[in-house]
Amino acid sequence: MIPRRFFPLILFLGLILQSVTGCAAFDVSAIKGPHIKDLYMVIYRDPDSQMLALQKGELDVLGDITRPSDVDRLGSSPEVALSISRGFHLFFMAFNLRKEPWNDRALRQAAAMAVPSRQIVRDIFSGYSEPVDTYLPPVSPYHEPDVEIHEHDPDGARTLLAEAGWKWTPDGILIPPGDEEPLKPVKLLTPTAQVAPTTAEISNRIADALKGIGIPLSAEPLDFSTMISRLDHHDFDLFVMAWSLSRDPDSLFAFFHSSMDVVGGYNIQGLHDPQLDEVLEALRWAPDEKTAHKAAREAQRMLSEISPWIPIYSRYMVAAVRKEWDGVVSTRSTSADNLWTLLNMKPSQGGERPVMWCLSEEPRSLNPLSTSSAYDWQVLGLIYDGLLAVDPETLGDIPWLATGWEVETVGDGGGSHTRLTFRLREGVRWHDGFAFTSRDVRKTLEFLKKHEIPRYYDSVRDIERVETPDDHTVIVTMGNVSFWHLHNIGGSPVFPAHILESVKDWETWQPARETHPSEKGSTALVGTGPFIFREYRPGEFVHLVRNEDFWLLGGD
Amino acid sequence: MKSYWSRRVLGAAAVLLLVIAANFFLFRIMPGDVVSTIIDPRFSPEAKERMREVFGLDLPMGRQFVIYVRRMLTFDFGISFLSQRPVWDELKSRVPNTVALLGSALILSSALGTWLGVKAARKRGGFTEKVVLLSGSISFSFPSFFVQLVLLLLFAYTFPVFPLRGSVSIPLPETGLARTLDYLWHLLLPAGSLVLLGFGSWAIYVRNLMVKTLGEDFILMARAKGLPESRILWNHAFRSALPPVLTLFLLALPGIVSGAVLTETVFSLHGVGKYLLDSILGHDYPAAGAAFYILGLLTIVSNLAADAAYALADPRIRVGRRVSS
Repeated sequence: MIPRRFFPLILFLGLILQSVTGCAAFDVSAIKGPHIKDLYMVIYRDPDSQMLALQKGELDVLGDITRPSDVDRLGSSPEVALSISRGFHLFFMAFNLRKEPWNDRALRQAAAMAVPSRQIVRDIFSGYSEPVDTYLPPVSPYHEPDVEIHEHDPDGARTLLAEAGWKWTPDGILIPPGDEEPLKPVKLLTPTAQVAPTTAEISNRIADALKGIGIPLSAEPLDFSTMISRLDHHDFDLFVMAWSLSRDPDSLFAFFHSSMDVVGGYNIQGLHDPQLDEVLEALRWAPDEKTAHKAAREAQRMLSEISPWIPIYSRYMVAAVRKEWDGVVSTRSTSADNLWTLLNMKPSQGGERPVMWCLSEEPRSLNPLSTSSAYDWQVLGLIYDGLLAVDPETLGDIPWLATGWEVETVGDGGGSHTRLTFRLREGVRWHDGFAFTSRDVRKTLEFLKKHEIPRYYDSVRDIERVETPDDHTVIVTMGNVSFWHLHNIGGSPVFPAHILESVKDWETWQPARETHPSEKGSTALVGTGPFIFREYRPGEFVHLVRNEDFWLLGGD
Repeated sequence: MKSYWSRRVLGAAAVLLLVIAANFFLFRIMPGDVVSTIIDPRFSPEAKERMREVFGLDLPMGRQFVIYVRRMLTFDFGISFLSQRPVWDELKSRVPNTVALLGSALILSSALGTWLGVKAARKRGGFTEKVVLLSGSISFSFPSFFVQLVLLLLFAYTFPVFPLRGSVSIPLPETGLARTLDYLWHLLLPAGSLVLLGFGSWAIYVRNLMVKTLGEDFILMARAKGLPESRILWNHAFRSALPPVLTLFLLALPGIVSGAVLTETVFSLHGVGKYLLDSILGHDYPAAGAAFYILGLLTIVSNLAADAAYALADPRIRVGRRVSS
């Protein structure tokens, strides 16, 4: 038996091995599923009862395991296989650059050198998170490792400050250059220990480290809403926060472009840098992937010099699957609780049996038009498909409802547009038997744009027109140029036109409860995805069954 | 008497109006709103503004208040911001579970606690009293989540007599009777845990009341008359101690609708408690407003019922009646 203390090391080495050798690379084109007939997404809210259920065999798949003690416990369980992947998660501390002394770059860089990020992450997460130095998590295809890294060096931080004209009082408090008064006590805003115990602990450790170089800092725990309100109104000095990001780096524009420094905007730290703005605009409006890569790398290099944040860590995503299932798909960037696992898994022994999948919160409405709940989308993501899917290994685009696509820039200069041409898969049917055609795609995009539905607002607002020259071709012309339109349009779910026509009020639409407009005994929750909605019992479970007509089962 | 009840009902109506107003303003005094809690770089400030329009949060405060009061008075609680479902539907799906769980726990723990309290008071310093005082103190001083997790570990995992979660088995049993039995089986462990956690305070409270009552002169008189001890205990002493117990019971009634957040979380139950907490934390004004309005209403009705029960339980109490000498 391997001692528990080695689990973090073993898991980490496994992850590194995956990254270096690609040994876990999975050919998604080989998947022809789903093989399972019944899927129950069972609601277990309490992490302790989730663990008991998994070990007892009442759950087959459990994702988002965050407590190191749980990972250790499952690691030693003979019935459970753990998977670990890098996550699109980034935790950082930020400065309010609108205020003195935080507008002093030397002070920010010295602060970054004073914080022992690696030690903090090691102490608090026991190896289940990785320290970061950059502004995109290491899993991102756009992550740039070659940036100016502020290694932990408190003496170096003091030297840097002294060279920049900072002095210290006899008590060791910093005095700004050209000033006689030392810094006044400042607060680091943080969620409370009750809500986020590890974050509160990290904040205390950061405050101690910064006190060590003369910044009179203490953590101020706040209720999350109060904290967000203070940040929205720029009423802060320093704060800590974590972002859940996506594979696309255009979040850098939202976080650091000067136009995003508005109330409720995400440039919370108030960074205004014209040179960086230019690079971020090049990223946001990149006509192709190559230009986007170049701009993303440049933006990360510039940000490391400007140091508006101190990046601290990125969380690993840990999932567990009972060993009586074969075909589990996990890669260095996708943990086992994913669509591909559901498409590929089958019992290693014995006959057919349902899969019990943990939902750690109640789905809110199962309304794909209005919900932004991740738990709703865990269900809806199996019912609705997009035109493109994301490769779990490379994070690149792969064909899904679209078998091919082109991204073109048409027009000249200021009149340039991105034109997306999608060739749709033939023979696909909706769960109610209707044929899937380009009309469905057009009606979906028109519906989302017409009603300005908040969830899709940013994705569809730049659509200029949608054309459907035939049943299996869709041409979407955008009002401007951006490579990211491909992911925004291609990644949005497609809804059946014949169902959308019956939606009276998108806000209160309850497709899981409304009867199908023409099919007796069916609901309006109709997609093209691998699973068909059968029943939602509030507080208990969502029952899905295999879509026997799913196009992937046909072997295409 | 009539004017007393008129005053009480009018007072209750005034309190209800205050509750309605407080529900509106207190939630809006909290920093932020449902939209400001969305922190997602894929959700632009423009998209957030659009969401505020959808929720009616862009309307002037006075207009929002008028809409809200009309909704409360007509029991049309509107659409939940978080789930986009009618608040009534959300509550309706949760209240039966919560009432079944907390109602049964309240009845059983109060009955058990009262019986043990009376038994303990009967013989001061005896074994029964010592056991009741000790078990009662342990019962209400242990944290509920700890006790419930230990029970879950023991009786749903190590010795799997009860289910780990929820109120139904998966897949569902076929017949109606099987489903009812299945539901009761699921209810047993969470309700049992609440009884275990709740009976102690009842037992100690009733024991203290009874000890005091058993020392009264009228008990001495009853004993002097040679009445059987059990009759003295239940018909005289307990009857006299009953009004405060009844009041406590009636005032605990609204609690069976407000839910138990920790119990619902540990046993993954679909109840009002977690919904209420999520609504408050998520600034879901329609949901939180409606839930607190209903709770306020139940508290007011329970208070009125307690007044009425007081008079029924104790013939000496006839509020407002003139006593002619």
